[in-house]
Amino acid sequence: MTTQQFDLMVVGGGPGGYVAAIRAAQLGFKTALVEREHLGGVCLNWGCIPTKALLRGADIAHTLKEAEHFGFAFDNLSFDIKKLVQHSRSVASKLTHGVAYLMQKNGITVIDGSASLADKCLLDVEHEGKVTQYKATHIILATGARARNLPSIEIDGHRVWGAREAMTPAALPRKLLVIGGGAIGVEFASLYNDLGSDVTLVEAEQRITPAEDADISALAEKAFVQRGIKVLTNSIVQSLDTSSADTVALISGPDGDQHLEFDQVILAVGITGNIENLGLESLKVETEKGFLQADGFGKTNLAGLYAIGDVAGPPWLAHKASHEAIICVEKIAGVDAVKPLNKDQVPGCTYCRPQIASVGLTEAQAKAAGHSIRVGRFNLNANGKALAINEAEGLVKTVFDENSGELLGAHMIGPEVTEQVQGFGIAQQLEATEHELAQSIFAHPTVSESMHESVLDSLGIALHK
Amino acid sequence: MTNEIKPINMPKWGMEMSEGDINAWYFAVGDQVNAGDDLVDIETSKIINTVTATDGGVLRAIIGATGETHLVGALLGVIASADTSDADIQAFIASNTSAAAEPEVVAAVAAPAAAAIETAPAPVAIPQAANGLSKLAEGEDDSLVAASPVARRLAAEYGVNLNNITGTGRHDRVSKSDLDAAVLAAGGRLIGNASTITATGAAQFGDDSNVKATPVARRIATQLGINLLECRVSGDRGRVCKADVEAVAALKNKMPAQTDGSATVSSSNTVESQPISGMRKTIAARLQASKQTAPHFRVHIDAEIDALLEVRKQINNSNTDAKVSVNDFIVKACASALIRVPAINVQFDGEQLSYFSNADISVAVAIDDGLITPIVTDANHKGLVEISNTTRDLATRAKLGRLKPEEFQGGSFCISNLGMYGIKQFDAIINPPQGAILAVGAGEQRPVVKDGQLAVATVMSLTLSSDHRIIDGAVAAQFMSVLKAYIEQPATMLG
Repeated sequence: MTTQQFDLMVVGGGPGGYVAAIRAAQLGFKTALVEREHLGGVCLNWGCIPTKALLRGADIAHTLKEAEHFGFAFDNLSFDIKKLVQHSRSVASKLTHGVAYLMQKNGITVIDGSASLADKCLLDVEHEGKVTQYKATHIILATGARARNLPSIEIDGHRVWGAREAMTPAALPRKLLVIGGGAIGVEFASLYNDLGSDVTLVEAEQRITPAEDADISALAEKAFVQRGIKVLTNSIVQSLDTSSADTVALISGPDGDQHLEFDQVILAVGITGNIENLGLESLKVETEKGFLQADGFGKTNLAGLYAIGDVAGPPWLAHKASHEAIICVEKIAGVDAVKPLNKDQVPGCTYCRPQIASVGLTEAQAKAAGHSIRVGRFNLNANGKALAINEAEGLVKTVFDENSGELLGAHMIGPEVTEQVQGFGIAQQLEATEHELAQSIFAHPTVSESMHESVLDSLGIALHK
Repeated sequence: MTNEIKPINMPKWGMEMSEGDINAWYFAVGDQVNAGDDLVDIETSKIINTVTATDGGVLRAIIGATGETHLVGALLGVIASADTSDADIQAFIASNTSAAAEPEVVAAVAAPAAAAIETAPAPVAIPQAANGLSKLAEGEDDSLVAASPVARRLAAEYGVNLNNITGTGRHDRVSKSDLDAAVLAAGGRLIGNASTITATGAAQFGDDSNVKATPVARRIATQLGINLLECRVSGDRGRVCKADVEAVAALKNKMPAQTDGSATVSSSNTVESQPISGMRKTIAARLQASKQTAPHFRVHIDAEIDALLEVRKQINNSNTDAKVSVNDFIVKACASALIRVPAINVQFDGEQLSYFSNADISVAVAIDDGLITPIVTDANHKGLVEISNTTRDLATRAKLGRLKPEEFQGGSFCISNLGMYGIKQFDAIINPPQGAILAVGAGEQRPVVKDGQLAVATVMSLTLSSDHRIIDGAVAAQFMSVLKAYIEQPATMLG
């Protein structure tokens, strides 16, 4: 049998890989996609989407709790976590089928199995013990990443959950320890606290959400503590003792060591790239700290090989992967005016309560980069809509370059800020200055009026402050 | 604005384009269309591109049906609001279709319609507009001019150089209104405006007396009624050559009608006839012209490539960013041989013989429904890895239909390789106005006799087709022996 040949093959069916395949097919490449598990990748199956389905449940729990404030009272309220998990899984499954449909519609050959490079432009795909070889002029690796373990603490799926187990619980944990205060950790802490668990969140850095602006982290911690989440920063979980019914964690922090008991632990301390068993070593493909090295268009040091998404390094976000997919494929196809990824224009969203969203440089990063800056702040407790919906806890912070007026960064915490951050992203992409933003008319009454006020504040002319 | 009727015209993408084939409509008559929607795919000799809607409304009529060929500027369809009467639509179509066919009667036909429809063409303004607008197009690279993203995109559509526009936006940035004002001042019409009607018929090309062309090309063009501005320029010193005029002629003339096969085929043998694509017409015209005008002769030689394969392995193993193919070696070897034997590195337009100082090598690439010959320029100055990466990029984009005209027009020599299909040996037709083409067969193990002993070697058959008007047998033979030496001793081509 002759080797089947494609113009372009993608390894990995997540939001990087399947988007790359669609764009390639649109441009006229004879395209194939290799996936070892589920189309849609972590994002659709075990990440972004199913957690948002669960967090919707958390929102409802929160709404029911504050219903009394709005005059409602009810008895015999019950909650079955299995139904919430069922909803989450059915959404994931629906979207996976949606991706399969998109592959079919675009004439993309989907190949089941695990791929590895046999040589330049040559891919071995192993499926149920049988290896098939394929030729492709261009191969894009979009194999993603997985949760990292700690040297002393490993995910066992039972006492210690990774994200996968944490989004398919059989029962609600009574006392939950979340190790890691990054985006994934705070989302699970927020979720289980709203559903009724007693949650302790441990972060090794000085503050939770350490990648966000310090003002945002401070407000997030304040909100978490008010909700009854125990937040231990500057703290490290040294060990877990699983010999008795409850897990005993040894946590060392600023106040010394303490032993605390939990019936469940979630480990969320970062991720590592899926670079194993891809045949990278023998072909001398460059990797660093568990991730593939690629240029601004995804090109690696090996002829005809490209890397996009989580496996190509941070930020580990689905929309960054999809964007890299587009520019990588368009660059190969010679589409005019393709620009390399600007990591300062990748927004980041965390779906805890209150939500966190940001794009660009934090105040500290902007100063460290040598900008002389102008900062605007606006607190949501002066925003009419936020007060009306009883979610007036939050802040919009904008950072501008004083000389050029460039929007260097925008940082938001509050209700539905993940929907609002796009406004700042568009302004940044169009290189709008604070003046264009100040001159824009924001509709009233909306939470996003605070974006406008924050910009006005940077000019010293906030109206409601 | 309920009675506005907006035409969809055959666009003009580049100098070469005089007509286009309707490939597929995205909407049916009666569908609601929004501004920016993809309307219809048009295929030309080299590309397929999409016409997008400049206005919203209901697609009221399709004049250019799928599979038909229409001239640039011809009315393809009509967009109007749902409450515009059918009579108005018909009047609009009548006035505009006659405009495309017979430009000189446009004014007379359009006049009565103008009372009811705001969109009547104003042919008088066209020459002036073209002049004024062409002035706006001149100038240096304008990528550093401060302009709003909208203005920059519109300027690209108008073909306006932003250096010629005075910016009055914030910080003197060129805004959309600055651009609109300049286009109107130059006598142009605004994109997306209801009064936009593409110039049609002969007026689109204008006076061709200043076009540089070979005398033969000019005479043929006059005889065939072809405007030299319609022709691509592939002759030496930027002149339109005979082959360029003939290519346009082939595009304009329908190919001979299909013979009525129904009587001669058995009833079980069904026949499906369809018009050939624009690209196929170009291939047909060019290769027919080549075979008719250039007396081909062929010389054939075998080269052993075991040493070449070994060097290839070494390069690919030692260099991660290299995937050099056997064909890349052939390109490099030809480049070196062309510099050594410059009499092969030529173009000939029937009158003038042009020698080239560098080897611009066309490489034939098979694509869906045809072939195209992207050019590795200055191949004599490029290393193997650079040739390899350039060729891969060109071949990738050739298959996607994304080559720029200058990337496949011209070239001083051509290579056609069918080795990957296991073809042992074949003859190729010269790609005019080039003087020769090399046909490359598969490398295969064959018995050879060395020093009276039978041995096994990997051998490749090479065949050169040359135009005997300008290349003699001895010169072709010399080129092939030099080429064989480079291929069999690959280290020598690195020097």
